[in-house]
Amino acid sequence: MSDPQQPRLTPIDEWEDEAEAMLDDVEYDTDLGVQMARDAIRVSNGELTDAEFHEKYHEAVLDEFGEDERPTKPEGFEDD
Amino acid sequence: MTKHGLVIDQERCIGCQACAVSCKQENNVPMGQFWNRVLTEGGEKMDTPSGGYPEDGGSGSLDMQYQPTACQHCENAPCVKVCPVNATYTRDDGIVEIDYDKCIGCRYCMAACPYNARVFNWDEPEHMPEEGTGDVEARPQGVVEKCTFCSHRVDEGLDPACVVNCPADARIFGDLDDESSTVSKYIDKYETDQLLEDRGTDPNTYYISGEMSPGRPQTSDKMESELDDVSPWSDGDDDVPSEEADSVGGESSGSSHSVEGGEIPYATPAKSGGDD
Ligand code: SF4
Ligand code: SF4
Ligand code: SF4
Repeated sequence: MSDPQQPRLTPIDEWEDEAEAMLDDVEYDTDLGVQMARDAIRVSNGELTDAEFHEKYHEAVLDEFGEDERPTKPEGFEDD
Repeated sequence: MTKHGLVIDQERCIGCQACAVSCKQENNVPMGQFWNRVLTEGGEKMDTPSGGYPEDGGSGSLDMQYQPTACQHCENAPCVKVCPVNATYTRDDGIVEIDYDKCIGCRYCMAACPYNARVFNWDEPEHMPEEGTGDVEARPQGVVEKCTFCSHRVDEGLDPACVVNCPADARIFGDLDDESSTVSKYIDKYETDQLLEDRGTDPNTYYISGEMSPGRPQTSDKMESELDDVSPWSDGDDDVPSEEADSVGGESSGSSHSVEGGEIPYATPAKSGGDD
């Protein structure tokens, strides 16, 4: 990275490309990161609940990271 | 409860980058990275005005609007929701922080942050001087870092370094849950915006534009909640500090100074070392 890393506002239409580039050579699943990022904003927007978000990605997060410690876990949610 | 927040008065900000530099110094931010940067509304490069001259058909709307930007400490922080190992978390006082021991460097939080407030240590971080600066331990290679609202200072009752060192008194820090705090009063009284409001992240950072506030005249590097008397700048009724200015300071720390009645105090940049 030659550009200094610094806070900046990304227009929403360019955001997805940037998120992909950011996660391009990550050791973990790039697509999962981009999808979760997109849906986390939908949670902030109120389009998705914490519980829905948690359930949607629980399996994938467990597969990828071997744990799922996200704070979005609904009460009584069964970890498997 | 306490909910820490920051109000930045864009009408007061002079784009001097003192907050960016003092942040870097205080928090031992590695070379090539910034946790806080003074953007301009006119474009991505430093000091880019918006609008144009009236000559040659320009609109005559030339304007330099500075927008200091760091982590916004979002109430609905998407970065927190995606972190699989709970390394990024929200403290009870609203500060969004990273546990660097837990961080596995997956960068999902970076992808989720609409403000690009996070930076990643791709390489072994370099510092100048080598032993580092300020009051915070260096973070290792392979983790993500960002503005902490200077939680190490806040925990000691001190304002963040960027707030103390702003020569234009444009940065005001305080408790958003306390109606009588200066931040709450200014949000109530002045026109404020949160950045990228449409994303629903509900930042605890607010920007004043339009009418200039009295800012946060520096009488001490203590947080407002630690001061016995928070006038002159927060009596809320008028735009200029009141006569009570003389009484401020008293027993507070060495960097305090008294103000002549009625005169608008100006800031003496306080040291950011946080060594008290
Ligand atoms: S600005 Fe970015 S890093 Fe900071 S709390 Fe919001 S989403 Fe997280
Ligand atoms: S990079 Fe670190 S803080 Fe960010 S999501 Fe991954 S583990 Fe959490
Ligand atoms: S609050 Fe502290 S960490 Fe955040 S921008 Fe200001 S100086 Fe930097």
